Amino acid sequence: MAFLDNSGDIILDAVLTDTGRLRLAKGDGSFNITKFALGDDEINYELYDKNNASGSAYYDIEILQTPVLEAFTNNTSLLKSKLLSISRTNLLYLPVVINNTESGLGGAAVDGSANNRILAVAVDQTTVDNLATTAFLGLPAGVINGVNVAGANSKSIVFDQGIQNNALGAGKDVALDADLVETQYIIEVDNRFGYLADPNGNAATPSFIDDDNIASYFLSVSTNPEFFENISQTNKSSNDNVLLGPVGYRLSLLIGPSTNLASSTYLFTQLGSSTTIRDQALSYIAVNSIDTTIRVTGATTGYRVDVPVRFVKS
Amino acid sequence: MATTFKTITANDVTNTRTLLHEAIPLTGTIASGTYNDENIKEFSHGMFQSVYDYPYLSSSANHIFDVTHGYSSVSALSGASSVQNSKKINIYNQMASVLVGHDAVGSIQRFDQDGNIAAGGTKLNEAFFLNFSRLLSKDEIKKDTFRMSFLTGGTPAARTDTLTIGDYGASTSYLVNSPAGEYAVLYTSSATPNANSGVGLLYYQAGVAVLTGSIFDGDMGPGVTSGSYDALATGSNINVMADSIRNRLVDIDFNNTVELNSTIYFCRANHNEFNYSANPTYLSSSQIRVKNTTSDNPVSYITTVGLYSSDNELLAVAKLSEPLKKDPNTELTIRVRLDY
Repeated sequence: MAFLDNSGDIILDAVLTDTGRLRLAKGDGSFNITKFALGDDEINYELYDKNNASGSAYYDIEILQTPVLEAFTNNTSLLKSKLLSISRTNLLYLPVVINNTESGLGGAAVDGSANNRILAVAVDQTTVDNLATTAFLGLPAGVINGVNVAGANSKSIVFDQGIQNNALGAGKDVALDADLVETQYIIEVDNRFGYLADPNGNAATPSFIDDDNIASYFLSVSTNPEFFENISQTNKSSNDNVLLGPVGYRLSLLIGPSTNLASSTYLFTQLGSSTTIRDQALSYIAVNSIDTTIRVTGATTGYRVDVPVRFVKS
Repeated sequence: MATTFKTITANDVTNTRTLLHEAIPLTGTIASGTYNDENIKEFSHGMFQSVYDYPYLSSSANHIFDVTHGYSSVSALSGASSVQNSKKINIYNQMASVLVGHDAVGSIQRFDQDGNIAAGGTKLNEAFFLNFSRLLSKDEIKKDTFRMSFLTGGTPAARTDTLTIGDYGASTSYLVNSPAGEYAVLYTSSATPNANSGVGLLYYQAGVAVLTGSIFDGDMGPGVTSGSYDALATGSNINVMADSIRNRLVDIDFNNTVELNSTIYFCRANHNEFNYSANPTYLSSSQIRVKNTTSDNPVSYITTVGLYSSDNELLAVAKLSEPLKKDPNTELTIRVRLDY
């Protein structure tokens, strides 16, 4: 993947993605381009120097010199950050989506380091029993029971959307502007490893599974209310102490393991490794593991969060 | 309402058809000499030879054309004593079947000198066939660009008499009565071609040149076997005939044609669209980095255009060669072309 030649006129390097080619090959009309989005994946806005002494022409000179990579064909690797249309130009703050590990599941300890934690899914009953241990009830923090999908301490993976400072007021007092509230999300999960479930453990239906086995789940407040909770101007928006400013909806979800992971070590052998995880008795036990990423993208605001998840099997 | 997608309407899409041409120059030495025939592939069946642009055992080699020879069963050269008689007839019939077709009772028609099959006239009963690979001819050979030169006289040791053959005038005068598409008569000169001056036929979409053997009036042996065309056609196998014509080839030039169907998507970013970004570096504790105050204009930089399906799957992507600044003072139309 080389850089594009930017010595002359601006050119466009266009390719079909692998999903585009797959749909074109199907010939069933599913290759139908209906909308577009603009992206700025290569741009580092930290290079914008709005205090440059030479004047405004120099504010973005480094950004404009950013080399742009050639297009490549993996549909899930492109347009990671999209440009956003908001008719107002007077916004100084925009909401973010963050993984709230205070209210939701945090990470499970994988070694003696306090900072080395990762969200884990115990894929079968043996693993659940080993992690819970006979002397203690329940799974350690940060672990999802993959047998009867439920998070430790009845917690889910939680994402909050809102302003990350209190310049506009505290979340319990001020509502997020209606046009900035995220009401729909696209969740991408590697379908070989797991599936999306609501906070009650019920599996969701993917909207689409692409050629790379990435399942996309489209969730909206109106059609999937079980995933959403409006925490605007509630005590939750202040007590969690994660987002300081106005907030919108809270998205809660769980991840369950695929049948393949639950019943076989094949994928662990092919794609995984061996590691340790701390059980409820505070001992570290050896497990097979596969690390993957759950991608949560706001369909309205385009904001995206990647959450590392580790599937573990004794 | 904030949004990251913009719908493409019927006014934002158009389809175009473009014909692209590339010049194909083939020097004759590529077919005889440059690689000491290591780029010439012969087959155990002996029905044709394949010419490559590099020794064919190399993975870098590209197949450029095949050459073979055949005659009709009614040809004077046909006879039980002729070498590979049935194979030469089979080759002729196969090519004629595909390129000329069958008559009302299902019999294979023969190649006609002027292409007017219904009128009868002179038939090309003995012919060389040069089948160009699709790598060269692409969708079709461009009309009135085909020129092919041979040394038709002299001896294998001292070949003489360069003869240039071409589809002169074919851009306005070509034939369509072939099941294999359009074709034209090959002449030896652009001057007053007539029904009796044709020396072959060129099939544009099939990428096949049919060349009568009668143009070779000298001793046309490849250097190993010597003899007249008639003597070689009856007394030698197809590989020797292919060797003969390869060694007399001076050059071949033509233009090919690729029919490019394109869909152009005009991605229009109006002044009040795409001025903000969801880039993780765009915000610092939720504050927009490119603004000091609310009155500052938002700014974003476009590097990528994504084309999506209605279910939000990325189907095509286009990259700009440099970032494009977008703010409320600018409107942009980015033209994304997908070729099929």
